Amino acid sequence: MKDKRKKSKRIIHLHINGMDYDVLVEHRETLLEVLRGKLLLTGAKDACNQGECGACTVLMDGRSVLACLMLAIDAQGKDITTIEGLAKNGRLSPVQESFVESGAIQCGFCSPGMILTATALFMEKPQPSRDEIKKAIEGNICRCTGYNKIIDAIEGAAEKIRSRGFSDDNVDR
Amino acid sequence: MTTLIGKRVYRIDGPHKATGEARYTTDIFLPGMLCAKILRSPLPHARIVSIDTSKAERIPGVKAVITGKDAWGVRHGFVETPRYPADQYCLANDRVRYIGEEVAAVAAIDEDTALEALDAIRVDYEEIPPVFDIFEAIKPDAPEIHTSELPDLIEPYKNVGGRCANTFGDPEKAFRDAYLIRNDRFESQLRTHCYLEPQTTVAHFDKSGRLHIWTSGMGVFRKRMHLAKTLNMPSSRIRVHKIWVGGAFGGKIDLFSHEFCTSLLSIRTGSPIKYVAERDEIFSYFRHGQPMVVDLETAVSRDGTILGQRVRCYNSCGAYRGSGVVCIFLCWGFIILPYRIPALDYIGYSIYTNNPVRAPQRGHGAPQIRFAVESQMDMIAEELGIDPIDIRLRNARMKGDILPNGDTIKNAGLIECIKEAAEKTGFRDRYRGQKTGDGRQGSLSEIQKNVSINSHGSHGKERGRFRQGIGIGVSGYFTGTLIYPNSSAAIVQFNDDGTVRCLTGALDIGQGAETILTQIVAEELGVNIEDVEIIAGDTDTTPVDIGSWISGLTYVTGNAVKKAAEDARRQILAAASAELGVDAERLALKEKKIFIKDMPEKGISFSRAIARYIYENRGNPIIGRGFFRGLRDTEIGPSLKNAKGSWSDSYAFDAQVAEVEVDITTGKIRVLRATTAHDCGFPINPLLVEGQIDGQVSMATGQAVSEEIMMENGITLNPSFLEYKLPLATEMVENSYIDIITEEYKKNHHFHTKEVGEGYVSGILAAIANAVYNATGYRAKRLPIRIKI
Repeated sequence: MKDKRKKSKRIIHLHINGMDYDVLVEHRETLLEVLRGKLLLTGAKDACNQGECGACTVLMDGRSVLACLMLAIDAQGKDITTIEGLAKNGRLSPVQESFVESGAIQCGFCSPGMILTATALFMEKPQPSRDEIKKAIEGNICRCTGYNKIIDAIEGAAEKIRSRGFSDDNVDR
Repeated sequence: MTTLIGKRVYRIDGPHKATGEARYTTDIFLPGMLCAKILRSPLPHARIVSIDTSKAERIPGVKAVITGKDAWGVRHGFVETPRYPADQYCLANDRVRYIGEEVAAVAAIDEDTALEALDAIRVDYEEIPPVFDIFEAIKPDAPEIHTSELPDLIEPYKNVGGRCANTFGDPEKAFRDAYLIRNDRFESQLRTHCYLEPQTTVAHFDKSGRLHIWTSGMGVFRKRMHLAKTLNMPSSRIRVHKIWVGGAFGGKIDLFSHEFCTSLLSIRTGSPIKYVAERDEIFSYFRHGQPMVVDLETAVSRDGTILGQRVRCYNSCGAYRGSGVVCIFLCWGFIILPYRIPALDYIGYSIYTNNPVRAPQRGHGAPQIRFAVESQMDMIAEELGIDPIDIRLRNARMKGDILPNGDTIKNAGLIECIKEAAEKTGFRDRYRGQKTGDGRQGSLSEIQKNVSINSHGSHGKERGRFRQGIGIGVSGYFTGTLIYPNSSAAIVQFNDDGTVRCLTGALDIGQGAETILTQIVAEELGVNIEDVEIIAGDTDTTPVDIGSWISGLTYVTGNAVKKAAEDARRQILAAASAELGVDAERLALKEKKIFIKDMPEKGISFSRAIARYIYENRGNPIIGRGFFRGLRDTEIGPSLKNAKGSWSDSYAFDAQVAEVEVDITTGKIRVLRATTAHDCGFPINPLLVEGQIDGQVSMATGQAVSEEIMMENGITLNPSFLEYKLPLATEMVENSYIDIITEEYKKNHHFHTKEVGEGYVSGILAAIANAVYNATGYRAKRLPIRIKI
């Protein structure tokens, strides 16, 4: 019984939103558990904890990953961006700004994951088509908006990125 | 002069939510916080012989274990009236009635320890035969789920938790005089809300003996009322804090066992406690919407005029009443609202089964009943050779109509909604052009017989593999009714710098309540959106509020806030009037200044007027107070027994058109476009109105084509987002919106607006079913629509 509760732990180094963290984690802890419970970066949401809803999406080396399906120890040496790291100097990123202006946010619980998934899409494809946008966010569930204004927002963000430039500090992470 | 009302104002919480700054209950981590877990019944129906928690209590790290005997034997219910007394314990006492019913709860230092403690609790059950199907449950020899009986139950039915009966006009005569009578059975499935934020509660019983609660709910005052009752505590010792809510759709309004358990565990331990529901727990054991069987018999004249209807609704409320008895009242309401029904014989039954309890879900009865009525309306139209538009125009409600309960329809844009929706979509021609239905129940194999499908799926003998269809549905909805706390109040204060603070008990669950209320205050006081700060949804610091449900917030709270702002305006104008030496009527407010209307260059700042007011009133600051109650001359809400009594002040109407494409080789249905013509009063913020419609169209699409909680013997078979198929981005429906603003709202009655949050989930549901028929000839009588292949 006592052995069962004895957990194997180690200190890992994480690079998140440009900051370095040393964290004591259990081997079996997910990145989402560590982000939320240990670093209080609660922008990544715990809606299903089994990789089905996309609310926990974070960026890892510029690609979107589901933090609930990834062990924290596997995130070492990666460049991680959470929703808290997207706005720079108090200014919203083009994607964030477009979400606000398009009415793409209602309850907001899917918004961080949606915004990061869209951000990853732009890194890969600066001018996605409407169908490519739909495909990109297919793994992110939203129950409030019917996706209409989210897709509008991502289209609108493409415009903003075109005018503000993809090298904008907000996007180029 | 309107500057902010009717404008597409951005949500004030947008930046908070876009940056991850907005905190939800799941995001709360307090020092020393314990983890709560709940032990659930593995059996659908059983007597609890004994519960032994001693082993669990001895596990290191376990801080408290509670069972039904710790819960004072207090029962609670969505409805608590003399006819329908509360019937559910927060923790089961002597009996469990569904798989997943809460039996015990533990608090421990971490999740693993809490789960280990659950495993160590020994419960001895004595099984009782269960019953899951409503028509089995009403049989005389069915197992008895509750001993109570309704005194007015004349049918030989068992397990009836609620009955709502209402008859008006002369139904016998209507059916005698009918040119055509149709009698059909329609069934709606068990489906669920899928709010993205899991049900979560944090409780902290502090050293002064006050209980602090953060919970993912839909109204803080209603939660406090239920918690005070079940915890045997004065409500003043409970503070429900404001917290962002990640969606609800009706599924978070009830008191839930975990809210009680988390509170009681915190009282026991003195530590903060957090409970987060796992997603499979939510799918399996929490409260879903209500499956319904509707027997609908309609008598019409030769020209399609409805003469009368005979309706029987059978609703499974689950193992406890939940909101089942409200749902069968509302089904009556959503029958009598959109069409003129001269005679009706209605009985709704809410039937106990050994299934999880049911809650309201967006529309609450309207999707179920409108699916039935609107589908049958098209069937009747076809038999009579009438266009679906014409038959609806013939029966539509109009301004001045008096409902059978005595409520007057003060304004109604239904006729315009139907006409505009039909015109904008080219409905009549397209409906005729695409029509394949021949009035017979078609199966895909029959349809396929006439089609040779080539590999590209384009040109068949008739119209190929992909069939397109168009359909219409109409609905109506009420705008708030009387149920605790019935009314809303608000306070509006000025800061010394001329900015404004509004205190309201409203809870923004995603619909944009705070944004709408900010617009109203800013408009009334002539300030910018950024100049208004909203303090909301906290039982300690904000006035009472009706809550974000029963479709009443913008109307009830909106008017309370408006009145508070008017009161503050009157006070600041009095000070300015004294300072400027002109009557208050000659003054106007704009951009934190008060100026003389015909001498706009002459005026004073808000700061100056506020300072003068305080000085002249010997330190008394400006505090605007307002309150509002719908149905203000009515003591209580409508009767759940016989549907008598006022229901609502005003009613919203809509007509919705769906365009679908059906792949007749697979039966897959795609909803391509939806057009919603809505009479929601005056859209205070069109961006938010559209957002509400988008969400409802999407939820209805899911209900129409894919969503269903599959249960077998009380067990949920598909408890995950992977297996419960809700719409994804690739299935997005392109929406268009038509504002029908009736005359009354053009006359500056903007704030007497109507509901927009749940009325648009039903017309479109029926429209999709009708469009599928138009495309394929398959008439769906059960949801979700599964075309037989």
